Amino acid sequence: MSDIKPIRIMLTGVGGQGTLTATTLLAKTVLAEGLPVTSGEIHGMAQRGGVVESTVLIGCKSPKIGLGEADVLLGFEPLETMRAMPYLRKGGLVLSSTEFLPPLSVAMGKQENPSLETVKEVVAQCTDKSFYLPCQTLGLEAGAVQAGNLALLGALTATDAVPVSLQTLAETIKSNLPAKIVDVNIKALELGVRSLENT
Amino acid sequence: MAHPLLSPEGGATHLLLGNEAIVRGALEAGIQVVTCYPGTPSSEVPDTFYRLAPNAKYKFEYSANEKVALEVGGGASLSGAMTLTTMKHVGVNVAADPLLTLSYTGTPGGMMLLSADDPGCHSSQNEQDNRYYGRLAGLPVFEPSSAQEAKDMARDGLLLSQKHESPLLLRTTTRVNHLRGPVEFGPMPAPGKPEGFTRNPAKRVPIPAFARPMHERLLKRIAALREEAEKSPYNKIHGTGAIGIAASGISRAYLADAIMETGLAGKFKVMELGFSHPLPENMALDFMKSVDKLIVIEELEPILENDLRVLAQKNGLNLTIEGKGLLPPNGEFTVTMVANVLRAQVGEETFACDSCIPAELPQRPPNLCAGCPHRATYFAARKVFGDDAIYSSDIGCYTLGLLPPLSMADFLVCMGSSISAGCGASLANDKPVVAFIGDSTFFHSGLTGLASAVFNNHDVLLVILDNHTTAMTGHQPHPGVEMTIHGANEHRLDIARACEGLGVEHIRQVNPLNQKKTTAALEELKEMSGVRVLIAREPCPLHTRRVYKKTAPMVAYVADSCTGRAECLDKLACPAFYKEGDKAAVNPILCSGCMLCLQVCTHIKSKKRGR
Repeated sequence: MSDIKPIRIMLTGVGGQGTLTATTLLAKTVLAEGLPVTSGEIHGMAQRGGVVESTVLIGCKSPKIGLGEADVLLGFEPLETMRAMPYLRKGGLVLSSTEFLPPLSVAMGKQENPSLETVKEVVAQCTDKSFYLPCQTLGLEAGAVQAGNLALLGALTATDAVPVSLQTLAETIKSNLPAKIVDVNIKALELGVRSLENT
Repeated sequence: MAHPLLSPEGGATHLLLGNEAIVRGALEAGIQVVTCYPGTPSSEVPDTFYRLAPNAKYKFEYSANEKVALEVGGGASLSGAMTLTTMKHVGVNVAADPLLTLSYTGTPGGMMLLSADDPGCHSSQNEQDNRYYGRLAGLPVFEPSSAQEAKDMARDGLLLSQKHESPLLLRTTTRVNHLRGPVEFGPMPAPGKPEGFTRNPAKRVPIPAFARPMHERLLKRIAALREEAEKSPYNKIHGTGAIGIAASGISRAYLADAIMETGLAGKFKVMELGFSHPLPENMALDFMKSVDKLIVIEELEPILENDLRVLAQKNGLNLTIEGKGLLPPNGEFTVTMVANVLRAQVGEETFACDSCIPAELPQRPPNLCAGCPHRATYFAARKVFGDDAIYSSDIGCYTLGLLPPLSMADFLVCMGSSISAGCGASLANDKPVVAFIGDSTFFHSGLTGLASAVFNNHDVLLVILDNHTTAMTGHQPHPGVEMTIHGANEHRLDIARACEGLGVEHIRQVNPLNQKKTTAALEELKEMSGVRVLIAREPCPLHTRRVYKKTAPMVAYVADSCTGRAECLDKLACPAFYKEGDKAAVNPILCSGCMLCLQVCTHIKSKKRGR
């Protein structure tokens, strides 16, 4: 285990978005690549619209990522990307959705969300490696809004940040998701890859 | 296809949740009886056993509370069955009475208690360290740090428990329960039949005359278990440095990563204790003699640290021991925290986190779901009692009613306390006291409090929020449910009849989604005195979708006539609502069709879903 460079991936999103499904798929893909993997999640409140944070760590024993420890931050919602920034080490990679799911206080008109520009500015203060994708739109284009998460994972395989191939990820989807939603999710992966390549 | 967890073959490797790994380990040991009361972060252990039960050979039950679960488990083990009982850390407080006596009577079939602790209070009211229970009851304690260890320790813990006829504490923390890691399976033998009960009152009935020799046997057993700890593969020493580090539980994972991160492997000699109680004293003594200094790394209380200090003092060792002075006794550790301790020990500069901290952001607290019947009950109760009443809350989803605008929780102690602590509040206040308890919590520990309230003629209004499931912890069945994932509950207990049986004279039952009737019932009960009960019956919408397979045919929408008064936004806080310009609007995908909002504002209408 010691000869593998450790990589810590933090994932964040909103309850009900499918963040944990994406986390498990990524962890299974890392395992399928023959790499030592640990993954962690904090749930319980997940179904009630709260923040869901999870982790995938390659070459580590601990399932937890502390402040300033993440090499990669995957944000399935931009407000949560911004909130999770303290976990990213300086110069780490950020992949984030651009589409907001406003928290209740914002939806009710009591508070305002930061703009996407503000999110990008905050990210830019910490790293110059960031990519933004309209995940829900890509999910809808692939055939289901939930598949948007897979667009973000697809984009991750197109960076050199993790030793995980698009092909292994697609195989993992095929062997772990119900047959009727496999095609939609594979298409979302590809849209994510293309979206990254076009940035 | 059979579930992979039930495969009799060993050899395969699967990525498992820590809690699923515990299930596999118990199956590999030949588990015969599983009992539990659910609670985060333990719940996936019993939930997995429950889901697999129709295709498996063990007996499984969701007990009414943790004390009952441990007593059912204890009785099974006393009759020769290999038994696992699971609960969250605070559940062990409820089960402490049988636990401390089962260690006297012994558990011949083997018995493992899973205590899932929660440093960091991710989903709990405190951070208590249940390793103390291992000391208090004289039990062997196993503390896994990975999914593989969770599986192996569940198996080996049960077998060790059976060998010594002692209950064993499998003590996990949230990070272990909810991590995922590769697990290599061992073979799963057929569990066979329990040996059955052998009569021996002198060993099994702790009257004082028998209890005294039982205590002597317990002390001998602890000595024998200490010998087991000395040779356990879960206790190991590695590394060569002059500074010693002792670590237990998940801290061992943080330590391993911190040593890798800092590249200081040559500087430290490590003693890892996975079988952490009774302390392997010979091993620990040899270890302490071989280093100049000792650092103890354990989350929460300084339990191992104090054990080692005592051992060093008894043996006249002159070495510095540090632990809680370096790392805090509350919250979780991180790799960086542990790495900084290592760096400081060798005089290296510590790592200061320089990641960016964004400005204050809108929070995203968990909220009652769209269509949650608790919102309807709270809305009506606030209308009738306003700020004049004292609201005694309890443990479940409905505790979220604490948040504004509902603001319906003034104090909370523990499971079932809404009734009894509410009675106490009524002794010291002139204000009316309204207590809220969920259906599962009512069966867990509300019944006794209610009986006592009636007997002592307290002045309290109890609202039982009956959503037909244990919603907060993942929709487990309880005695009052109608339906489960395996079909109808044929032995359903009726809450109204239970209250009647306990002597409550004023009982009303409503569907809280009918605001008129709910408000009328609350007004009526408000004018009465003594113990009064309102049962608000309506299933949790998530449970309805999953188990009843039903979706409401209609959804709400805000008509163009909306005046922007925004009472719906200000007072209901339903997540299906949002503000659009000056008006309110409803997201039809999130709307569950409960129609509470139509009763709040005449400008809200209903339409067929999908139109």
